[in-house]
Formats: sequence, C-alpha cells, structure tokens
Amino acid sequence: MKTHFLVASFTALIAWIPLSQAADSPEVSQAIDTTSGEWEGIVNIDVSVLVPDYREPWNAGQPSGGSGTGFLIGKNRFLTNAHVVSNATKVVIRTMNDPEPHPAKILFIAHDCDLAIIEAEDPSAFEKLKKLELGGIPKLNTEVIAVGYPIGGERISVTRGVVSRIDFRPYSHTSVDNHLAIQVDAAINPGNSGGPVLQGGKVVGVAFQGYSGQVAQNVGYMIPMPVIKRFLKDIEDGTYDHYVDLAASNFAIENPAQVKALGLDTEGQGVLISDVEPAGSAGGILKAGDVLLAIDGNPVFNNGLIRVDGDLVDMNEVVERKFAGDKVNIEFLRDRKRQTETITLKRFLPYVTLGNQYNQRPRYIVSAGLVFQPMDRNLMDANDMRNPLTSYFFDNYMTDKLYKERPEVVILTNVLPDEVNTYLSSYRGSIVDEINGVKIRQLKDVKEGLAAKNAGKEDFIVIKLLENDRPLVLKRALAEAAHPRIMQTYNISEDAYLGNE
Amino acid sequence: MKRTFLTLLATATLTVTLSAQKARAPKEDNLAPVDNPNVSRVPESIIRSDSIVKVNATSQSFSPHIPWQKQPPGARRGLGVVLGGRRILVTAQMVADATYIELELPESGQKLPAKVLAVDYEANVALLIASALPVKTEEFFATLKPMAVDASARIGDSLSILQTGRVGDLIVSPMRVSKVMTQPYVVETAAFLVYEATGIIRSEANSFTLPVVKGGKLAALLLRYDNKNQVATLLPAPIIAHFLKDVEDGKYEGFPSLGVEIQQTQDEQFREYLGMKNDVKGAFISGVAKDASAEKIGVKEGDIVLSINEFSVDSRGDYQDPQYGALSISHIVRGRSFVGDKVEMKVLRDGKELMLKGELLRKQPDSYLVPPYIFDRGPNYVMMGGLLFQELSQPYLEAFGGDRQSGAVLRLSHIADHPEEYEKQGRKKLVFLSAVLPTPSVQGYERLGGQVVNTVNGQKITDLAALADAFTKPVDGIHTVELKEFPRFLHLDAISVERDNLKLIGGQYRLGSLKRIE
Repeated sequence: MKTHFLVASFTALIAWIPLSQAADSPEVSQAIDTTSGEWEGIVNIDVSVLVPDYREPWNAGQPSGGSGTGFLIGKNRFLTNAHVVSNATKVVIRTMNDPEPHPAKILFIAHDCDLAIIEAEDPSAFEKLKKLELGGIPKLNTEVIAVGYPIGGERISVTRGVVSRIDFRPYSHTSVDNHLAIQVDAAINPGNSGGPVLQGGKVVGVAFQGYSGQVAQNVGYMIPMPVIKRFLKDIEDGTYDHYVDLAASNFAIENPAQVKALGLDTEGQGVLISDVEPAGSAGGILKAGDVLLAIDGNPVFNNGLIRVDGDLVDMNEVVERKFAGDKVNIEFLRDRKRQTETITLKRFLPYVTLGNQYNQRPRYIVSAGLVFQPMDRNLMDANDMRNPLTSYFFDNYMTDKLYKERPEVVILTNVLPDEVNTYLSSYRGSIVDEINGVKIRQLKDVKEGLAAKNAGKEDFIVIKLLENDRPLVLKRALAEAAHPRIMQTYNISEDAYLGNE
Repeated sequence: MKRTFLTLLATATLTVTLSAQKARAPKEDNLAPVDNPNVSRVPESIIRSDSIVKVNATSQSFSPHIPWQKQPPGARRGLGVVLGGRRILVTAQMVADATYIELELPESGQKLPAKVLAVDYEANVALLIASALPVKTEEFFATLKPMAVDASARIGDSLSILQTGRVGDLIVSPMRVSKVMTQPYVVETAAFLVYEATGIIRSEANSFTLPVVKGGKLAALLLRYDNKNQVATLLPAPIIAHFLKDVEDGKYEGFPSLGVEIQQTQDEQFREYLGMKNDVKGAFISGVAKDASAEKIGVKEGDIVLSINEFSVDSRGDYQDPQYGALSISHIVRGRSFVGDKVEMKVLRDGKELMLKGELLRKQPDSYLVPPYIFDRGPNYVMMGGLLFQELSQPYLEAFGGDRQSGAVLRLSHIADHPEEYEKQGRKKLVFLSAVLPTPSVQGYERLGGQVVNTVNGQKITDLAALADAFTKPVDGIHTVELKEFPRFLHLDAISVERDNLKLIGGQYRLGSLKRIE
C-alpha cells in the first residue's frame, strides 16, 4: 500500500494541479530569501538506475532513472534516502541556484533504515554551502516544513504541516524493517524523498514515504532523529553494521487468566514471549512462554511498550538504539521465577531474505539449461511463483525456522528448452533438495553437487527435488555437450554468478 | 526491528469474520437457466419416457466457517432414472446436503417425497427411494418401468441426452462420445472413468442431472456441460453398474484404490538411469500412500510398475483397455475391481522383476487427517468460552476462495497437502483454533485464528473429542492451550469460560450447541 516517492514519480500523479504561487499565507513568518544561502544545502539528486533482472539473472537489467532530495550535513556529506540512490549507476547533484550537474558517489547506504550518505566527486562547488543543523524529536501538533524537489516543478518546494503521530512503522524500502517514524500532515510528494523536514531551522527528520492511492489523506512520514543519529553513529567507523535485533516475538498479556497462570504479581508489567528465533540474539536465552519484565531497567508493559523520554514506545526502541556487539540486560519470569540475563546483540540475517534487496547482482547457476537461484523476495516478486510448496517456504521461512536446514532455499527457476532437458520443463519452480548426493543448503552447494560423482551411477547427474516427484536425471556426457550450446543459444555469457566470495 | 516478527506473524492469522461465508462462490444450482416457458406451439406427438422422473431437491449445507449455522437453502432440479425395486438413480451432487427430496412425474406433475437409500460422493452416484405411504408409492410407480444399464458405449458411439419439456414431453439431443479418460468427479481425491461427448444440450428446467441413453438403456449421467465448446462430461455406465452391484448385498464398500503416484518414463536419460531397456514399458512409482492397497502388497517408492492384473502398463502409466483403448491404470483398480478383489502387480526393482500380490482396499473417507468432503452433516466444532475449535477439512479451506497464497490459509492448506507428519504424531484429525468470539474470558485473544492446537491442559489433541475431554480437566482453575505457532500459549479461566459458554448458548451469535462431534 505504501510506496516510495521516488518510484511513484515515474508512474503516477501526472494530473498535478498547480497551486497558486500567490499562496503567501498571511501568517508566513519566516519568508525565505532563496539567495541567502540558508537552504542552499538542500540539493536535488538525479539518479540513473539499473534494476536487476531476476528472471534472466545473467542480463544487465532494466535501465531507469529517478530523482529525489538530499541535504548537506557536513563537509561534502549529503544525507538522503537509501531508496533514492538504490541500484544507482550514476548520481548527480544540483543545487537550487546553480543548474550545473555535479557527479556524486555513494559513501554509505543503509537499506534497513532507508538512509544514505553521498558525496560530490569534486567538493569544490559545495565548499561555500551552509550545512543544515540537526535537531531533536518534535512534539505532537507542532509545526514543521518539508523542503525538497518534489514533482510539480523544477525549483525547490516548501510544504507545511504539523507532527501528527510518533510511532513504530514499517519501512517500505525493504518491507521487513520497522523503526520509529513520525507522521506529518505536510504534503510530501514523489521527489521529496531524502529531503529535510525542518522545525525552527533545524532538521527534525528526513521525508521518506507516504500512502499512495486514496487510502489516506495528508499522511506523510519522516525518519526521525533517533534513527538518523543511530545511522550516523554506526558509520563513524567507516562501515555500516546494520540494525541488531532480539529476534523474538511477543504477545500482549491482556487476559486475567494468563496473568494468573504465568504467576504475574506485577500490575500491568510483562509481555509474553511467544517465539524466539534460535539463530537470533535472544536464541538460547529467552524461550517461548517466558514473560519479559524489563529491558535495561525499563519496565515492559503488558502490551510490549516501554516509556522512553516520557512517551510510550515499542520496547524494541531500546534495542534499536544499540549496535552490533552491544549488550542489553533483560529481566524475565520463567516458571514464576524472576531471572536476569545479558544478551549480546547481533544482526538477524534470515529476515533479510524476506525483504527487498538492492545494489546486488542476482546470483544464479545455469547448467545444461537448468537455472538455479536462491529464494528471496526479489526472486519471488520477479517470478510469479505458483508452486505451492515454494510459496509455503517463502511465507514460513521464519515461522517454521526453515532457515536452520537451508540458509538458502535453492529453486530450479527455469529450464531453458533443449533436447537434453525437454522432459524436465514441468519441474520449474521446485525446491532443489539434493544433487548427486550433495545436500543443497545454499546456492554454492549446487556447483559442488553438479561436480560430484554419484556413487554407482557416475555417468548421471541426479537432482532430487523436495516434492515427492521423480529425480531429475541427466546423462553427464549429454549435459556437458549441451551446456555450451544452450549458453550460446540463449545468449548467456557467464554460467554462474555466486556473489563476491 | 523485532516488531517485524510480530507483524509478520500476526498478519498470518486468519481473518475469519462472520461474513466469511460470503467468500464462497455461489453454487451453480441449475445446470442451465430455465427456458422461457412461453412456447405456444403444441407438439403433434409428444414423445415420453416411462423410465424418467423429475427430481427436485432442496439442499442446505452448514457454513464451514460458522459451523453452527446453515447456509441459505438452494434448489436443485434434475431428472432421475427409474431402476428396479422402485429405486431412482441420480448424481450424488443432486442430493448432497438435501433437506427435502421429491420425485415428480413429468407429465401429470404428481409428486412423491423421497429419501437417499445409498450414496457415494466420490463416485457421485446416489439411489433414492420413496419415503411415502406404500399406497401412494404404488400409485406413483404404476406407470413407470425400470431402465436397464448398458455399459457397452465406446468412442465414436452415438448417445442421446434426455430432457423433459414443460408438459413432460421428452427432448432428445444427440451426443457423440469423443474421448474416454479418467478424472475426478466432484471430490478431488479420486479419478474415475468419464466419457467426453460433443453435442448440444438445451437449456431446460430440471437439467442438474440428466440421463444419457443408448438404445433405450442407460449409458451415462450428465456430470457437467461446457456450453461454450459444447462438450459434455458424462458419468458412465461402468461406474454406475459398479455402484449398483456393490449396493446389492446391502453392505456398501465403495471403489477400491491403489494409493500410488506415478510418473511417466518417456525420458530416455531417466530410463537409462532406471536400467530400463529399450523395449521395457512401465511407469515410475514416485509415491506410495500409507496403509493403502499398494503399500500393503509391498510396492515401494522407486519401483517401476510393469503390469497390473493381466494388463501391461506403458511408459505414460496407461494400459490398453479392451473397450476404450489407452486409459489410466487407475481404472483397472477403481473401475474394474471391487474392494476385497485380488490384485497382482509386476514391478521392476533393482533390475529384477517382482510379482506382488494382495487384496484391494479402499481408503475410507473418515480416515483422512483432512477430510476431502463433508456432506449431510455439519462440520465438527467445539466452542470454549469464545474460542472456536474446528477440525480442518477441504470444504473449510475451499470456503476461503481462490487466494490461498499466504498466511494461515496457506499454512493450513500446506498441512492438508502434506498430512504425513501430523499423522505420525498420532493425530486423527487436525484440530485448530479457527476463530474467536469476543467474550470476557477470551480478552486479548480476539484477533487469533488459524493456529494448530498441540495440547490442552497437557493432553495431546488428536481430534475434537480429545479436545472436549481435555477441557474438562483444568489445572488450578485455569485451562492452558498450547498452540503450534504464535502466540504459543493461551490461558483461560475455567469458571469464566463456563459463564461465557452459558451466555453464548442462544445469545447474540445464535449458538444452539457448544459443540458438534460426529
């Protein structure tokens, strides 16, 4: 339902109704002289994009483009959204008073919180620009302005509104991350992405997403300062280490019988831990059925909220502000006994598979026309997967802890027709379990499996699928002879890309 | 970021609302719309059949998602065939979930209430008998004569479809059998013999089931008609005869099955891998169902079936039927044999031929973990203080409509497709929390639905009877429900559950009973 402004700017909202320039409302207190330089640090970012092709993973992909906003936060450091510069092949910065395009490059990109830092290749043009000051969390119902280069014209645009809500929200760039976000009723439109939201001349957020279509009115979201500051701190050491996660899910304790059964004597304190990912930070420490009472000394209420700076927020906010390797102290009830533990926080990888990924070349292996690819959201979105088992694996990859046995679920995504594989085309979309006796736990196992000799049947390549079907069998000699022919016929230059390993 | 999990998991719960039944596609109750009866022309000579009666059935099924409630009743009107012993043959679909059935003489309009004598929903055939006073029955059947069954039709034969007009006149439309094959009738679990015939069938009243005759004898019943391509799918006489023969002894056993999945062996590389020489035919067995005929006689996954009884099996998994030509081997067992008949299978295993022998069995409809169909009774359920527990069934899943690509529906569908793991756990049926009615005792659980139940008060839940029993044993006044998935544990206050149960009976949700276990 939510869409990126950057993306949307290519598709919709052509019927834009220009608002009168004479909208100088009588209450405008701070008229901005655009030559004064106060906003000169707010720049337009023009991007050329190459969208990877997960259906023909050996191809370059689809060239495209887009534009967004960014702003100067330090010497030759422009902050913007990750989605503005994702999959970019060329990035160009333009300032409000200078039409000259300045080539730029990405320094850091954090897809999980939709932020990026870019720098101009030649910083000299920006030396005189004033950087924007960073502020704090604005209060509800206080006025903010969004500044940027949204659709509807070429020049800088300002819209005004108030802070409507502060809440944990899904970040649609990856579709699997949730962080603090601030909702404003200032018009935020395609192209505003990456631009600053200002209050009292200071940055209080980065405009990044809204609702598309007719589902809601005057709802725009910005990334608030705690998320921005965390990102800036994370990259201080020169690399972005990503968010860390408890990787446990919780269920509100509202039922009086539940309170009694769990032995809670704490009025309204404690949330039920209902699932713990064994490979996550809390794996082996918390378990389902525990009642989490406090995180780092902050009492956790029965609905999973804690009080931070006077506001009730999701208890994960405590973890959100920490970094890989940091520790968090938890207090919990197990079998009616209070216990304390320290959890060392780390990133939880399997969930990345379920989200959109960017700046990556699709990985694949082609052999005798059989195309193998690892299951992830990009692949699932590109192919209309109708195989029910594959849909099930994707939907329950975490619920059923399928990642334990298969860090990567390898799918036979395509069979490029040739004499050698003509009987195998109906097995497209199946999950590959074993090749020549080698268990397929990730894509590179396919390579190993194809090279392995099948005990007693050395002349054959035997591929077992997860379905209760027959094994797929190729005569090794025929497959090897067909491989170069198929590569040439289907215009494939490389028969595998396994990533930078 | 951890909230991610909560969100993902929470969205996976079922959103069963009380309007969920609307998602079910309306049943096509009449095969074709009733023709405008303003035909003024009087036929000079009306052709009649004295072996056909109109059958009018009112049917009403229970709501799969609100199991204590019935769906709006619907009417089905078809033609039945008079058989010996004053029995009437119709398709099972015609009388499924029937609340009232009546027979009607096409010409006089005389009516007679009837009931189901025998029914097989997999084979889609039913026998009706009168449920009126003998004297009325006598009178009704006075002019009727039984029709014989003729199983001799072959590809290329001409058949006639019979319909009745408004005044009981017989409308005869020619059909030609173009194909004979096997496919499921109305229940997806089993494929049966069908004839495909081409020809035009008129839109007339009472066309839900129609007899198809050959030389005045019953050759088939109409199963479905594709009016765009003018192709009729017919339920053929061999299956009808099989059903009638089975019914004769008063003990109905149904159609046997082998319980194997087969794959073709035309792929030369695969054949070479299997060690099949050029002239060897036969199909690859890729799956053997637990406790089915094939498993009992020793068939194993990976075997190549070479012959069944006297018929050799080709690389497509077909045999040469003397009457129909190439046909799926499933018909050897299902169409040509009865439960208890001997079966012989020659298989190739590790390069050696083996002869396996044994008896044919039928997988009983109630032995499925997830029943493929439920007719003539309501779905089982147990209501506990607002938590609605049900046994998973195909009709329950089908009621969600087409989209089963994600969430709890996908999870439950996956279980229905892969029941083995759950059967191994000793489950007889799959009990799950299907919905929650808002009561004080289920505060906080209102948004749940779609979770499989593992234990209640420490007892393993193998079916709803076990669940009902476990709920009689709260521990310290509290019921503990352990679910297979998020949120894993629910607790209920035993006393407040009883109080809510009393309020639910006859309350806003119109519950007549707190459970149905049949």
